[in-house]
Amino acid sequence: MRFQKWAIATALFAAVAVFAADTVRFESRPGSKVKVDGTSTVHDWTVESQIVKGTMEVPADFTSNPAAAAKNTKVEVTIPVRSLKSGKTAMNNIMWEAMKMKDHPNIEYKLLELTPKSGGAQGSSAQFDAKGTLTVAGVTRTNTMPVTIEQVGDGKAKATGTTTVKMTDFGIKPPAPTVGLGFIKTGDDVKIAFEWRAEKAAGVVPAGPTDLKVQ
Amino acid sequence: MKNQATPQPEQDFNRRDFLRGSSLATIMAMLGGVELRAQAPDAKEEEKEVGATVKCGVIGLGARGREIVSTLGRLKQAEISAVCDKYPAFMKRGANLAPKAKALEDYRKILDDKEITSVLIATPTHQHKDIVKEALQAGKHVYCEAPLAHTMEDARAIAQAARAATKQIFQAGLQMRSDPQRHFLLPFIRSGALGNIAMARAQWHKKQSWRTPSPNPERERELNWRLRGETSTGIMGEIGIHQLDMASLFLNARPISVTGFGSVIHWNDGREVPDTVQTIIEYPGGVRLIFHATLANSFDSDYEIYYGSDAAVMLRENKAWMFKEVDSPLLGWEVYARKDTFYKETGIALVANATKLLAQGDKPVEEAPFTNTPLYYALEAFLTNSNEMTTGVQDFKDSFNINDTKALEKYLSELQMQPYATWQDGYGATVVGIKANEAVIKGQKITFQNDWFELG
Repeated sequence: MRFQKWAIATALFAAVAVFAADTVRFESRPGSKVKVDGTSTVHDWTVESQIVKGTMEVPADFTSNPAAAAKNTKVEVTIPVRSLKSGKTAMNNIMWEAMKMKDHPNIEYKLLELTPKSGGAQGSSAQFDAKGTLTVAGVTRTNTMPVTIEQVGDGKAKATGTTTVKMTDFGIKPPAPTVGLGFIKTGDDVKIAFEWRAEKAAGVVPAGPTDLKVQ
Repeated sequence: MKNQATPQPEQDFNRRDFLRGSSLATIMAMLGGVELRAQAPDAKEEEKEVGATVKCGVIGLGARGREIVSTLGRLKQAEISAVCDKYPAFMKRGANLAPKAKALEDYRKILDDKEITSVLIATPTHQHKDIVKEALQAGKHVYCEAPLAHTMEDARAIAQAARAATKQIFQAGLQMRSDPQRHFLLPFIRSGALGNIAMARAQWHKKQSWRTPSPNPERERELNWRLRGETSTGIMGEIGIHQLDMASLFLNARPISVTGFGSVIHWNDGREVPDTVQTIIEYPGGVRLIFHATLANSFDSDYEIYYGSDAAVMLRENKAWMFKEVDSPLLGWEVYARKDTFYKETGIALVANATKLLAQGDKPVEEAPFTNTPLYYALEAFLTNSNEMTTGVQDFKDSFNINDTKALEKYLSELQMQPYATWQDGYGATVVGIKANEAVIKGQKITFQNDWFELG
């Protein structure tokens, strides 16, 4: 019995180790930012959130070997809708309502594919075209955007990117609140810019089987 | 007054009306003053979608506590889960105002209830300290009536506890700090629209005894804590604190000294606390606020006036007016603004309207845009901010390491809060209130020491 347990455990962890040996798992850290810029008939508007929750699993050598990184990178990000804020309570409420926050409290992103840009890898950073699924207000759409992943200091990474999406693609009707004397109509296009800071997760991905404690 | 989407009616004035209106306005402006109006919220904001409701408990159901309960009852965000008073008569009256709430005798039951995130404390002032400390310890957001305490030691203990509770809201019950009308006036006054501010005057006149009768002598003593020197901060601490705090806010300074006088004039029933007081509060630059209050007469109620070399501004309830000097520079807009007459003066209504067109012309704007009481706005801010803080902490916890205290505190400090009286505001005002009362009792001048305002 005891032997069997050992064998299974060892086999399992060996399998993990093959994958884990060259993969680094990063987790969100404070200091991240997401900014959404839009337009309206009155003035441009901006909402921001500092809450970007998520993980990124990336080959350790992603900057020197972007082609390998393209295949083995996993990214999942969640942003609570309620953390997106403008300077104005009234506007927040209009936005949250438009995004159907009650039923869909989170914005989600999942990476499908990374394509390295030619000549994109420079020093500690690498540029990719990221194809992923973006879920807003319960509607999932595929999105492609340029992304830069950078190593900033020991065990720290920063991913930045910008993309433009249409509200109507996600079933969101551009809000047209009645304010003051007339209608304000918001534009359909919004620009999403993010700066995601992450740090190597301590002890999550084993460096090798020798580090394992099997009882 | 509601601003609807249809702009036509406001623009529907003819030339004769316009000429008549403007020439009359010009004459009025030469005579006197302008009403200052705060920006009216748009219709959407008035009927704003309520995010989450906040479960709250009210501790202390005297007159003030019951006012809090009934005001909460008008706020959509509020869910009154429990009300509490150890005096059965008060408990019953409070419970009647919140039929769905549990009526409790022991406030600890509110603190133990994990569902309740926010508590509002309106017990007698001298009972605040322990309840506030325990409530903060229990992780609740706390609204504590002003003054925070009846002694400097208690006030300091409360402020220290509030300072330590970085993941919670502590709001002092200085409700005028949340009043939109006053927030509209603040930059107006601070930006020098009054010229050089020469002096200020505030008053609070109300004929009432402050004594609550009871057939039970022990109960009578407890009910009338405001009339006993050892538990009361008198008219200055219990009432004057609000207007003194507003003066410090508008003058953007902490008082330097307070000189006070007080007597029992009318309610000579053995009370230890004057029913009539006069104080002079000195601010930097030789500016002094004269504050008088009495329980013996109610003429002209309560208001504040700031006197400057270009204009005086009077704040009264949710309205304000400007009285200009003849040699003051023309601001422009006051020509078109509404005028009201006081005594022999004509005041220019200082209520900035959302639609300037409405404020002009000959269609009178009947109501000030903010018709709720300052308490309503203060409680609305408390609930909104409590929710903001709770969700902020939760979001951070879900996404990052909650033990990263530095990052958490930075994140929380950047959350957008509705204006409210912080523990710093509450503590500073309480110190001023306590010392102003001391000056009245002693009939002396008291100079404020810097270290009274420091927590160490």
